[in-house]
Amino acid sequence: MPRTEEPDTRAAVVELAGVSVRYGSAKAPVTALDGVDVRIHAGEFVVLVGPSGCGKTSLLRVVAGFERPATGRARVRGSLPRPGAGAGVVFQQPRLFPWRTVGGNLAFALARLGVPRSDRPGRIAELLERVGLPGMAGRRTWELSGGQQQRVALARALAAEPELLLMDEPFAALDALTRERLQGEVRALAGRLGTTVLFVTHSAEEAVLLGSRVLVMAAGPGRVVAELPVDLARGPGTDVSALRSSPEFARLRGRLAEIMRRGAVPGP
Amino acid sequence: MTAPTTTTAASGPDRPPQPVPEPAGTGAVADSPRRDRLREAFRWGGLRLVALAVLLAAWQAVVSAEVWPRVLVPSPGDVWRQFVLASTVHDGVRGYGGHLLIEHLGVSLGRIGTGSAYAVLAGVPLGLLIGTVRPLAVVLEPAVTFLRTLPPLAYLSLLVIWFGIDEAPKIWLLVIAALPPIAAATAAAVRTVPGQLVEAARALGSGPTALLLSVRLPCALPEILTGVRIAVGVAYTSVVAAETINGVPGIGGMIRDAQRYNQTALVIAGILAIGLSGIVLDALLRLVERIAVPWRGRV
Repeated sequence: MPRTEEPDTRAAVVELAGVSVRYGSAKAPVTALDGVDVRIHAGEFVVLVGPSGCGKTSLLRVVAGFERPATGRARVRGSLPRPGAGAGVVFQQPRLFPWRTVGGNLAFALARLGVPRSDRPGRIAELLERVGLPGMAGRRTWELSGGQQQRVALARALAAEPELLLMDEPFAALDALTRERLQGEVRALAGRLGTTVLFVTHSAEEAVLLGSRVLVMAAGPGRVVAELPVDLARGPGTDVSALRSSPEFARLRGRLAEIMRRGAVPGP
Repeated sequence: MTAPTTTTAASGPDRPPQPVPEPAGTGAVADSPRRDRLREAFRWGGLRLVALAVLLAAWQAVVSAEVWPRVLVPSPGDVWRQFVLASTVHDGVRGYGGHLLIEHLGVSLGRIGTGSAYAVLAGVPLGLLIGTVRPLAVVLEPAVTFLRTLPPLAYLSLLVIWFGIDEAPKIWLLVIAALPPIAAATAAAVRTVPGQLVEAARALGSGPTALLLSVRLPCALPEILTGVRIAVGVAYTSVVAAETINGVPGIGGMIRDAQRYNQTALVIAGILAIGLSGIVLDALLRLVERIAVPWRGRV
């Protein structure tokens, strides 16, 4: 996994320079993000971690094209971010369309891509296979467990074979066991597909486990306060549960937790 | 209620039906929910039958006591005889006014169906526009509300002046009556489509057209169908008004004619026919809703 040391001249998949985001009225603006610089390169798994209100979701929404920065420059593969322009998004809630079956939800994504109707069943079967739900195309979304629903949401986001995958606390609403399993699978999947991932979480453990690089954010106003490279094994066949109990993992998690504690306090 | 099996053993079919605050069989562990429900249905169904019998008996008692002249308050038997007469061919006369009761009802149902169908065809797109295009909502929403509050008899005269006395004014009246509920339900439903789903669809590359037709419309479908059910109900209550002029064949026309000749029993038979067919139709529409939108309440 190529990890970058500056100075860096390669084209970035995501490039944010001096990005600020403000909500609220002109009279009483709330600054969610204040002058953030972030570069993400192809194949990186970047995790944004921080307390609630630190603007990590706002940052992801800028990259997704849902939010326009008040100041600064945001580019995804050199263009202005726009929803549906190639970045797959997985939200905290699955946000599946209940009026469609599992397969229908994937067909929705394929139809937007212009995949011919006759090719869709095959692609749907492939996608479901990929997220560990083979043969579930005909099921109703609400018959599925929370974890299964989130798998469908992931498959739907992967339908476009996106270069960039944006994930906003996708496992926060799941039970611990399901969460651990999905963490391992997403980690492996991103490595196998070579997908660039921007992942938001508030959990130091999840950040260290998943990220090849962790950006620590702090609130008031939201900004990136620290960066932690993670050099845990990422190759195919990595045993994630062994990783979890490894001393390097414990050390990195401890360091990140320490950085996050300091980041929460204003000043050094 | 809290005591186990012993209480349920007492709740046999011989027990008089009475409102019981707790469902029967709550203490019976072995009973399946389905059997519980069936027992419930029988119990409440029995209560309804008893209530109906009491009503009929009271009606008959009032008639027998001759409180009011028979012409004004006919007996249940009179109504039944008129119902049979209107439903059969007798002395070479076909039902009432040359049509059997069921034919009168059929013609009215046909008008309700046609009017409601046009109302859906116009009302759903209108609701989509009102729900999504702000300037149109500002202009059209008060108009829909105005139309909704008008009693159909108020505009019948105008429709007769414009379209004569044949089918056209009747269908127009039903369309005008049925359209506002559909348009209002559609507009409200489209507006309340969860932003989270819209956002997810945009992230998948949906443009405005796909958002409207593949997200907002299907998401709004349960409420739209409820609007249609209400609209058919409104058309039902308006059909008698629509048939006050040149309404035969038609159940409203039949009632109107019967009223002219003081055939009170037939008027009542007609009212009962409308009411009962209305209940059946509403049940059918509820069934359609359940089958067509199984995701209701899961958005």
